[in-house]
Amino acid sequence: MEQDAPRKVAFIANCLFNQNAKVCEGARYRGLVNPVVEALRSRGYELQQLPCPELAFAGVRRWWAVYEQYDTPAYRAHCRRLAQAIAPLIEQHLRRGDEVILIGLDGSPSTGVRFTSSKPDWGGRPNRPEDDWDIVPRRGVWIEELEAELARRGLPPLPATGWALDMGRFDEAGSRRDLEQFLDSREIAAGSRGHDVSAGAPGAGEPAAGEPAAGEPAAGEPAAGAAPGAGEPASL
Amino acid sequence: MNADARGWRMALVPDTLINPRTQARAALPNALEVLEACGYGALQLPPAGEHGLLLAVIADQVAEYAHHGYAVVAIGVRGEPGGGLHWRRLAPLLRHRGVPPPPRFSLRPDADAAAEGKRLAAFLSGYDLPLEEQRRWRV
Repeated sequence: MEQDAPRKVAFIANCLFNQNAKVCEGARYRGLVNPVVEALRSRGYELQQLPCPELAFAGVRRWWAVYEQYDTPAYRAHCRRLAQAIAPLIEQHLRRGDEVILIGLDGSPSTGVRFTSSKPDWGGRPNRPEDDWDIVPRRGVWIEELEAELARRGLPPLPATGWALDMGRFDEAGSRRDLEQFLDSREIAAGSRGHDVSAGAPGAGEPAAGEPAAGEPAAGEPAAGAAPGAGEPASL
Repeated sequence: MNADARGWRMALVPDTLINPRTQARAALPNALEVLEACGYGALQLPPAGEHGLLLAVIADQVAEYAHHGYAVVAIGVRGEPGGGLHWRRLAPLLRHRGVPPPPRFSLRPDADAAAEGKRLAAFLSGYDLPLEEQRRWRV
């Protein structure tokens, strides 16, 4: 029965389904980020939306922020609560042998996978566009806490990448190529393993080739890796 | 100039509409395509099962939107328990947060999928908050 066959499931950043979650001036689409939805669905992935940690913590009218501003005990506790809410669903898929991946939001202080935004001395009233920040190879706070919760449950880190929406000047075509490359590399890897899509199941071991292990963002430049530019909010 | 593209509208969507199984796929319209065409975002409900904490987190988010000028609707599927929206759990969670029940649209799996898609699109396109509420928040 198809219902019992292993599935491909992508857990995606909240704002990839709902750009209304973005920080003010950060939405690039009206609602869905359709290139991401299309890339995943055309490859047979089921979609599961992650909660948005910033929205529920600081609200829809929050300022933009960098990693260091969200790296607080209270925000991490909030992220842990959200992780405890979504982790059972991830665990359920992994335990049944589904292939589970994570699509975050590169450059985001919370949902960055390969890259997050950083500026240790940021604080107080934002001053755009004069404010500047750095993009550093690191997970965002929310992804760190989600991975920690999965580890507490004895689950492996999910193969993951990020849609490069918060990297500075947004390059949709480059982001799309980047995502498709990630997804296609998984197809090729699955093909070489005889279509064993359960390779992400607990105990199955390593993330796919070319993906960073937990806490180790991949080296190299993102496809949309322009330096942060004027007029581009950094936050989720 | 504010280049923000958000549509200020979103829908609570059952998992079964986002990830339809084989049989349902033929009977239901492609809800994500309709949402995209109408400029809506999606708030996905989890599949059937116990998801108490996750539903509370979703209710927190709906409350935040509803209190700040965003239009939120719900799309149910007739024949699914709670419309696929976990309604018996979600409705009191929203009520406790001071959120009135969102306008709710019910898809009929036994009807023509294309016609249901058009009916859904008409519902989504025709809904928004009153103008004075939009002007208050959407600057």
